[in-house]
Amino acid sequence: MGDKPDVWQGTLALMVLKTLETMGPQHGYGIARRIEQTSGNLLSLNYGTLYPALLKLEQEGAISSEWGMSENNRKAKFYKLTRSGRKQLERAARDWEQATAIVGRFLSPAEEA
Amino acid sequence: MQSHLISFPASLRALWLRLRAAIDPGRANRDFSAELQSHLDMHIEDNVRSGMTLKEARRQALIQLGGFEQTQQAWRERNTLPMLETLCKDIQFGLRTMARNPAFTAVAILTLAIGIGVTATVFSWIDTVLLRPLGGVTDPQHLLTLEAVTANGAYIPNSYPDYRDFRDNLKLLDGIAVTHPAIFSIGKDDHAERAWGELVSGNYFAVLGVSPQLGRVFSPQEYSDKPGAFPIAVISDRYWRSHYNANPEIVGKTIRVNQHELTVVGIAPPAFHGSIPAEAFDLWVPYMEQPTLNGVDEWMLRDRGDRNMLGIARLRAGVTMQQAQAELAALAARMAIADADMDQGMSAILLPLWKSPHGPQGLLAGPLRILMGVCILVLLVVCANVANLLLARATVREKEFSTRLALGAGRGRLTRQVLTETLLLTASGAALGIAITPWMSRALQALMPPGQLSLSLDTPINLHVLAFAAGIGLLTTIAAGVFPAMQAGRTDLNTRLNEGGRSGLAGRGRHRLRSALVASEVALALVALVCAGLFAQGFAETSRIDPGFDPNHVLLSQFSLATNGYSLEQRKLFSRRLKAKLESVSGVTNVAYADGVPLGFEPSWWEDLQIDGYVPASGENMKTFRNVVSPGYLGLMHIPLLDGRDFNEQDDENSQPVMIVNQTFVQRFLGGGSVIGRRVHGWGQWFRIVGVAKDSKYHYPNESPVPYFYVPFRQIYRADMNLAFYVRTKLEPMTVLAALRSAVHEIDPSVTVFNPIPLKDYIGASLYPQKLAATLLTILGGLAVLLAAVGLYSVMAYAVAQRTQEIGVRMALGARPRDVLNLVVGQGLTLTGWGLAAGAVLAFGVARSVAAIEFTDSAMGSGAKLMGSPASNPAIYAGAALLLCAVGALAAYLPARRAASIDPMRALRTE
Repeated sequence: MGDKPDVWQGTLALMVLKTLETMGPQHGYGIARRIEQTSGNLLSLNYGTLYPALLKLEQEGAISSEWGMSENNRKAKFYKLTRSGRKQLERAARDWEQATAIVGRFLSPAEEA
Repeated sequence: MQSHLISFPASLRALWLRLRAAIDPGRANRDFSAELQSHLDMHIEDNVRSGMTLKEARRQALIQLGGFEQTQQAWRERNTLPMLETLCKDIQFGLRTMARNPAFTAVAILTLAIGIGVTATVFSWIDTVLLRPLGGVTDPQHLLTLEAVTANGAYIPNSYPDYRDFRDNLKLLDGIAVTHPAIFSIGKDDHAERAWGELVSGNYFAVLGVSPQLGRVFSPQEYSDKPGAFPIAVISDRYWRSHYNANPEIVGKTIRVNQHELTVVGIAPPAFHGSIPAEAFDLWVPYMEQPTLNGVDEWMLRDRGDRNMLGIARLRAGVTMQQAQAELAALAARMAIADADMDQGMSAILLPLWKSPHGPQGLLAGPLRILMGVCILVLLVVCANVANLLLARATVREKEFSTRLALGAGRGRLTRQVLTETLLLTASGAALGIAITPWMSRALQALMPPGQLSLSLDTPINLHVLAFAAGIGLLTTIAAGVFPAMQAGRTDLNTRLNEGGRSGLAGRGRHRLRSALVASEVALALVALVCAGLFAQGFAETSRIDPGFDPNHVLLSQFSLATNGYSLEQRKLFSRRLKAKLESVSGVTNVAYADGVPLGFEPSWWEDLQIDGYVPASGENMKTFRNVVSPGYLGLMHIPLLDGRDFNEQDDENSQPVMIVNQTFVQRFLGGGSVIGRRVHGWGQWFRIVGVAKDSKYHYPNESPVPYFYVPFRQIYRADMNLAFYVRTKLEPMTVLAALRSAVHEIDPSVTVFNPIPLKDYIGASLYPQKLAATLLTILGGLAVLLAAVGLYSVMAYAVAQRTQEIGVRMALGARPRDVLNLVVGQGLTLTGWGLAAGAVLAFGVARSVAAIEFTDSAMGSGAKLMGSPASNPAIYAGAALLLCAVGALAAYLPARRAASIDPMRALRTE
């Protein structure tokens, strides 16, 4: 576990939003597991750090929460994307792709030259 | 990246939610605990399903979570605003602590309220009188006072011809206007009402940048210098509302002012009260109406010697005051040569508005400065007191602090806690202090001299004052709270816990600190007392000065006959007839009238003299103060004639002009020998000296002898002069008021008697600044002593309470109550002694600098000292020191007696 990179600063919110978009309403534990799975177990995620991030998104109105029943009948709090969260996700994804494209160009300069 | 995710409203929304959660964090916290618990349960269940033991499953889940508590903490920090939350907790805790110690809280808050309230009151006056620029004008910071300067450096008003020269020649000013404050009577004949207004140059509103709220102000065509051409007026918002019910139709109508019709062209904006700070005027009329309204001869408008206009200049944008000043000085120098007959040696100067020597500023600037100083003194005493109280309490709370430190509270956290508590105290004190400010402000106003100025000092609490009080409160918090806070932070954990709170023996450093605070309180109280004593003495000395005339049993009343449309001849006739009527009233011994009143508020006038046989030194100021008096004036005032004769009815318009001079005049200009019959030139004619009067006081009770002369009313009285009527009686002066009124009514029912006042009261005004300083300093000095006594007592009482055990041991070992008494009182007196020694040094320095402060009134500003006597009067120092010793001894004695009555066994059993 020790040598896996931590979630990059600032990308956690994007991952949470994308996860909620793909999976629909989900509780905190589920989101954490999903992020870990999606990363192909390459990322080290401290599950606890997720909760302040969720709270922040909720305070900003990107997601909303509601108590409900989990798949194995446990009381859990479910988060879902709001309309403004969906917009935020689109914007963030676009920004991210642009950013990675730019960085990519630096890393493979041969084609252009 | 992150920043793109948050749009601005979203972050605001987040802030708002966090703020809300900070105030009530309870429910959300419980909610999150449940969420976290369900997270763990699900994780553990998954782990068990993947084959772990329950114990291992729980361990792994917690590891992956990064700890239950830690997660909760991280979440909580995001949910609320941590800073704010601790602040809220501190405040809640502080409020509880305050409520638990009501006596402490009450004393501290009251002390602070007094200190802050007094300071805020004085500041609100300073703000109104000195700092606040004129209301309702454009860019007040560019407005300056323009004063003429005499050869000997006194600031005096301008003449209208001076104004025209300034106006037409100065390029660096964006206009210059002049104004002449005046009383008008508005309305018809016998029910005319008096109002204060200003006779102004036509460009007055343009220079001040005042736009009317209704109608118009004076237009450029009305800026001209043509006498009587523009019978118009602008009235104040206040007058409009009180007299015309805010009816807009008044604009364009005429009103009757001084028996002449003036058309109201506009209403000034509500914020505009005229061009003298803190004074409220209700009417503005072009100065060129003077001949019509007040019967002033037109040639007087062209007389350079007729200096009755206050100048206001507007600085051109981008020009410094120094540049404008240089241009003005150069022009004034040219004028002094061109008009050498009138203006020789004169110059002119630009001053910030608040430095104007006229009006309330000139009068109050000195006393207010001193008051501010004293307030700061009182505030320091208050700080020392509160710091002492807090320190004493910090000792009581040592156990609490030690425990909290032991449980892991940071020292910074404890320090912040103590500061928050102090802030709570000062905030309450400041709120209370501000609440009593308007009340104290009115009390201060009651000390103003009666009827002389139309002040608009209904000082509402404004932002300046609030900001000031808040600043003072903050400073007090820091000053009073910082020591206790430092002490809290420094609490030495081991010593405290080991001693089990037996703190009386340990806190040596703290003990020294408290002793220093008490000593400094005593020192400050001594300074306040000594200053109060010196001012009171100065006031008493000045009041005892023989003015050289007898103001007792004289009724003074002033007439503005001009406002009744009287011509000059009619005025003179009126005076003579009134005098004749009154002389036959029983109980009346003398009747006289004159232009000026000595030792009053009104400006004193002078004439430029040439004296036959006296050659002035180059640049010598020959402007000599004078009074225009009726026959019998000197006799009425009990001013002895040393030589020659008084004026009589034969000294009339057609006879040889005559003059009576005073002793100093003789010594300075006429040398030895008989002076009767010598010739003096003034007002364009030669006078013959017919008498020599004894010196008296003319402007200030403590002025040094000045040359002075009298000329006969019938020969010299002019339309722009005042008419002060004097009646001397055998009884109380006010008893002849009825007779005066009926005599006036018989002559002309439309003339009313204005401002009848005993001369003694009237000249009391000349003592006003000293009286103000002495009265308020005595009050504040008393306050400082009271506060110091409270401080001394509370500290001694506390120290004794701390030493209960020790004293018990001493008594068990054979100490007698008297020994205990001696011990405690001795310590109290030692502290007082140190304070007195420091205070004496400080008081001497302060008194010396205060003694240098002068004041001026609207008379010619020969700077008068506020403090009569030199700063070193040993009796006052000794008296103040003795008083404080007594206070110190008493403050120590009361707790000492309690200590001496302790039952040793019970004392030992305490704790």
